[in-house]
Amino acid sequence: MPPHLQLLPPGRSDDHFDTTGERGEWFLLRPPPNLPPVPRAFLILFLVLTAALCAQAADPLAELGAFSVFQNANLDKLKSEVTTARGPAMTDGRHLSVQSCYVVPVPPAKALEALQQWDASRHRELKIYVHGDLPGSPTPASFSKLGSAPDNAAVATLAEKTQKGSHDLQISNGEKPLLPAGPGGKGPLPDPVQSFWSNVLSGRAQNFVANGAARQPGYEFTGQEVKSGDELASLLRQQDKIRKQFAGFLGDNGVSGGRGSLKKDLYFELIDVDDEGVLTLGSFSSKAVGSGFQAADVTYYASGGYYAGLTLYQMWPVEVGGQASTLVWRGDMISAASLATLHGMEKLASESAMMKDISKAVRLLKGDMATGR
Amino acid sequence: MRFPVRLRFILAAGLSLLAPLALLRAGLDDKNPGVPTTDSPGPAIPAHFDLPSEFDVSESYVGSADVRRDSRSHSLDEENSEVRFVLTPRISTGYLRLGVEWERYSFGFPENAPLPNTLQNINLVLGLDAKFSDSILFRLEAQPGLYGTFFNHITSGDFNVPIVLGGTYLYSPDLQIIAGAVVDVNSKYPVFPGLGVRWKLASKLVLDAVLPTPRLEYELTKATTLYAGAELKEGNFRTDRHFGDNHRDPSLNHAVVTFSEVRVGVGLTQRLSNSLTLSAEGGCQPYREFDFYRADARYRSDGVAPYGQISLHGAF
Repeated sequence: MPPHLQLLPPGRSDDHFDTTGERGEWFLLRPPPNLPPVPRAFLILFLVLTAALCAQAADPLAELGAFSVFQNANLDKLKSEVTTARGPAMTDGRHLSVQSCYVVPVPPAKALEALQQWDASRHRELKIYVHGDLPGSPTPASFSKLGSAPDNAAVATLAEKTQKGSHDLQISNGEKPLLPAGPGGKGPLPDPVQSFWSNVLSGRAQNFVANGAARQPGYEFTGQEVKSGDELASLLRQQDKIRKQFAGFLGDNGVSGGRGSLKKDLYFELIDVDDEGVLTLGSFSSKAVGSGFQAADVTYYASGGYYAGLTLYQMWPVEVGGQASTLVWRGDMISAASLATLHGMEKLASESAMMKDISKAVRLLKGDMATGR
Repeated sequence: MRFPVRLRFILAAGLSLLAPLALLRAGLDDKNPGVPTTDSPGPAIPAHFDLPSEFDVSESYVGSADVRRDSRSHSLDEENSEVRFVLTPRISTGYLRLGVEWERYSFGFPENAPLPNTLQNINLVLGLDAKFSDSILFRLEAQPGLYGTFFNHITSGDFNVPIVLGGTYLYSPDLQIIAGAVVDVNSKYPVFPGLGVRWKLASKLVLDAVLPTPRLEYELTKATTLYAGAELKEGNFRTDRHFGDNHRDPSLNHAVVTFSEVRVGVGLTQRLSNSLTLSAEGGCQPYREFDFYRADARYRSDGVAPYGQISLHGAF
């Protein structure tokens, strides 16, 4: 690279360059005044190419194609249907990723608001039995909605396993002494069970608020420590384009180390995972990026079934049929021990099931948006 | 995660349908992969293999019973051994299946019995698991190899390439419809189609009506499954060049013999870890046949024999 096109190292000044940006950033701002003809031609070419790249980045479909598996998305089609596809191959067998893409007929700010406020537990087919929002400083009392858990086989299994202190439960050695002393109590989740989980979940939620996902306690009972923060990092590490696309955002929301600076909406859920009740802790955060948004829904704790999950969103403003709309890319990633032993057809079937479920969830969300629910 | 989480999506996938010699049992045995046990230490994180693989090892013994042709009857017992190892790397269109397999039947006959006392095959597994859509998955698998007796004098006739084509329609996570066909030029019926269904009747009860191992399964615990059902085993093998001469029937020289048997029994699968599953089963064998169909010589079972089997399945 010719000397006059070299980028400046952090904090360095140079007669030919003006570093008016923040100290420490690498900026090329202005050409030196006395460039010979050939370098000037190079510089013009460079600027033209840069402008072309910027123009491409401003095109949502081009940007979508650059980091996702959707190379030839069609906005008109995406308005009426949800497109899903499996994500890039990941070397770790316990990871699975699915990407989806759709258009909603509202601007990005409204699309984001609808996503944040959507109560998936209203749709029984999604098998989200309880959803509760958490305050910034969760306490055991914040989980009182566990008392409204439905009376079904999945919840009964969770209660039974808790009362038996089953090895299936993903709890640390530090949480084990809190387990209820045998069976007892009434209701789908008896008081001792509810109390146990309220304490465990509030402790983990507080930890997340203070330290982010990376410092969540591991499941020490397994013999090999499982940490959800490590799982999340591993999920992202194996999807290079997505990691780069969301690099700044992920550093701000507590997913990839540290508590992050973004405001996070915390929640807990009681859901069905393979016919068993599982308690999860999640965090939703978003950030304005250009004229759109990036958002993340992080499951940083699950009491069983899987280790961690991450759903990323990118939203761009688009116009479809003369209507201000939002192009949404969604990437779902999950880490689960059970996936590691699936092969070939079984893994394809799991991917297909996940894609169908995500399509169904998105269709329900779009339906609710259309009806104003 | 605002959608249902369904991870243990286990299905026969149609690909075992009518598979000769039960070559495709790997997928069927894996009922609860990765599910932590309730009675054993919790789930360890599986080792990270860049190249996923699976293996099966099984051994069975079938007690003494007669086979009969016309007025001639011969008593025999049987040992059946099977080893299979398959790599399943992912490619853009799906998952490859690259492996090897060896299976051997060893029969205990009286000396004068005009039947081969060993049938065996050693073959490659070359296949692809892919999908037409989110709901339709398929497997295409070729099993080129040697299918014969002792392989003392290997000839081109010992070489065969059975092909299995199967598809599964994922109607729902609880119901899959399976269709498939086996293509084998050495078979009496070179193309043999079939249908099956896998239906989760209740949270712990699954009807897995897919050949070659149709079963009704009951999940005792997350690690232990009880099942009752049948197993249909079939294969086509070439006898050696002088087999007929040695048994006073030259038409059986280098002849194709189709060996088939039906086992009916109950069994138990026990997940030992996230990667290993041990199975044990026992029952009876009501049907067995040696069919030299091109020579019009057929020996059928004349009695019921007891059997026992133990097998180990690993997936990494």
